[in-house]
Amino acid sequence: MTMLPPAHLRLTTVDTEDTVRIELDGELDYETADSLLTAVTDLLAARPRLHNLHLHCAGLDNVDSMGLSVLLMIRRRTDQAGVRLHLDDRTTTLERLLTITGSLEYLTTSPTGTANSSPGTGEDPRTSGEAMTARPTGPDSTT
Amino acid sequence: MVSTQAQTGVGAQQASLWGVAPYPVLVADEQGRVVLHNDAADVLLPGIRPGTPFADVVPAWLSAAHDALRAAGRTPGPPAGQEPDAPVTGVIGERAFEAHPTPRDDGTVAWWLVDDTDHLLAQRALRMERKRTAFLSEASSTLLSSLNLGRCMDVTAQLAAEHLADAALVIAPTHGRRLPVVTCLRGGTPVLAHESVDPDEVPGLGEALRGFPPVPSRWIDPSTAPVWMVPEGFGTVGSIVITPLPGHGVPAGALVLLRRSGGAAFTESEEVFARLFAARAGAAMSAARLYAEQTSITEVLMRELLPPSLHQISGVDYAGGYRPSADHERVGGDFYDVHPAAVEGEASLVALGDVCGKGLEAAVLTGKIRNTLHALLPLADDHQRMISLLNTALLNSHHTRFVTLVLASAVREGNAVNLRLTSAGHLTPLIVRASGAVEEAETRGTLVGAMPEAPARTTALTLAPGESCVLYTDGITEAEGGPMGGAQFGEERLKRILSECVGMPSESIVERVQMLAAQWVGKGRHDDMAVVVISAPRTHHLSAVNGHTRGRFTA
Repeated sequence: MTMLPPAHLRLTTVDTEDTVRIELDGELDYETADSLLTAVTDLLAARPRLHNLHLHCAGLDNVDSMGLSVLLMIRRRTDQAGVRLHLDDRTTTLERLLTITGSLEYLTTSPTGTANSSPGTGEDPRTSGEAMTARPTGPDSTT
Repeated sequence: MVSTQAQTGVGAQQASLWGVAPYPVLVADEQGRVVLHNDAADVLLPGIRPGTPFADVVPAWLSAAHDALRAAGRTPGPPAGQEPDAPVTGVIGERAFEAHPTPRDDGTVAWWLVDDTDHLLAQRALRMERKRTAFLSEASSTLLSSLNLGRCMDVTAQLAAEHLADAALVIAPTHGRRLPVVTCLRGGTPVLAHESVDPDEVPGLGEALRGFPPVPSRWIDPSTAPVWMVPEGFGTVGSIVITPLPGHGVPAGALVLLRRSGGAAFTESEEVFARLFAARAGAAMSAARLYAEQTSITEVLMRELLPPSLHQISGVDYAGGYRPSADHERVGGDFYDVHPAAVEGEASLVALGDVCGKGLEAAVLTGKIRNTLHALLPLADDHQRMISLLNTALLNSHHTRFVTLVLASAVREGNAVNLRLTSAGHLTPLIVRASGAVEEAETRGTLVGAMPEAPARTTALTLAPGESCVLYTDGITEAEGGPMGGAQFGEERLKRILSECVGMPSESIVERVQMLAAQWVGKGRHDDMAVVVISAPRTHHLSAVNGHTRGRFTA
């Protein structure tokens, strides 16, 4: 178990065989988001055999647009690395942000392609003119 | 030389001891005649012989001290071995001495001379260093208290003229053909002038202003100094030194020091000191320059980002309000624009958006988005296509900065306004109906610029006269404050407020929302807040828009 203490975001990493779980506590925002991205980038570089990355979000108080931007970047990196990203225990606030911005599905569905396929491949069906189903897939997301 | 004169009462052995002492010693009697002296005194005062009058061989300061001591010592006389308080000091030849008298029982006085030239020099050097350190620290604090480049140049010239030279010039690196030069005479006030000259014509000046390669201070022949370099009424220049002002990676300028002829020229230590001063002045000036450059960049961007003032276009009312975040260094990421239709009778396009992040990066991205949307105006009847093209234009492998936005195409038809609305990952636009109901527009989509695709669903609706559509950014709903503090303004509160705004003109709705959000925040921090209201005007009389109007509209 390692602890990284950035400004207002605390990251707790729990390691198992092919799964890493990072607990996020605090705010994921303009000032702290980069620390999460750095942590994940380093992790992906250090663990080429990783299959699953769980970001445990229950302790997140606030996620702003920079925080969301970093989650999107993390998704891009995990796709490239062939790692499946899980955003676990999303708070209603986070769920709402992801729903409004239409990024929930992108961030929470598993990439159907392999690591070397483009991240968009798996999502092609929903882009064919038909309205995007931004319907929340998580539990009771809209309040 | 060992004296054996009996009248001195000094034993041979004793005399031989001080006779070879390294310090000059001389003994004078009450009549002011030299009775004894040692070898060192002989070297120091050639011509000294026993019996010569004291005043003839020693400098005036010492003979005066001897007279004074005799006058005072006549009365009780200090006990032998006790030193009078302060030693007498003075110069003999080129060296400085302390003279310590020892009155003896027989009325004679032995003067022990101690050379303290080096001590005095060290003291003087110490005083000078202290003065310089104090000056440097004063210079630093004066210079660093200002981020104004003009003020920094003035202070540098003034301090240099006061402490380093008879006159000083501070020359800033120039972007154009004219060289900004601040000149200051000692005791005068700094004067700024712009000289149309080529710095390379003065030896060393061009290099100093370029800042690269680093050059040492450089002496120039006063006769080669150009006219503009010598202040009016300065007189003949004795020496000139040009010192570069080193900055933080950028050349900060050059310092020119001038001294009049006849005065002291610059010593090596003064030149070193001038360089120390130049380092401080250069740091302050380059900080001020960088700050000024950043401020001007921010200003230019801010001017670009200022939202347009809105008004009625083709029978549709538009009003917008923007309250930037109070964090001055953080240029906002909210924007809105209204593009009137190219052809009368077609829809105008409204875009309101919020760019992720803050600061210059957000500002640059905002500018890019607004320009791209402007270029895509011919496709405005297909919001999805505009959004997809914008998404492609913004996608970048290095970052996932994105924008969320709402596009609204509005066209007047009869008394009503037909609207097509598309939210691309943005907060849903709110429709204020004549009944007081506040509806959420049925549009949803994804944020733009970070994911491979940006699908969005467009909705079409009609605003009856007096009805409005409200587009806003999360700076409004996420504004924190309230009576207890810490609570979010929230969508429900916004909806409630809007339901009380039925029938109000678009401008009043914008003002009301802004006012209540501002009150909610109080003195607290807030993000950018932007609101745009699109309204179908209430028709109080016949409208001449087209033939569909049905006369007077009664509310």
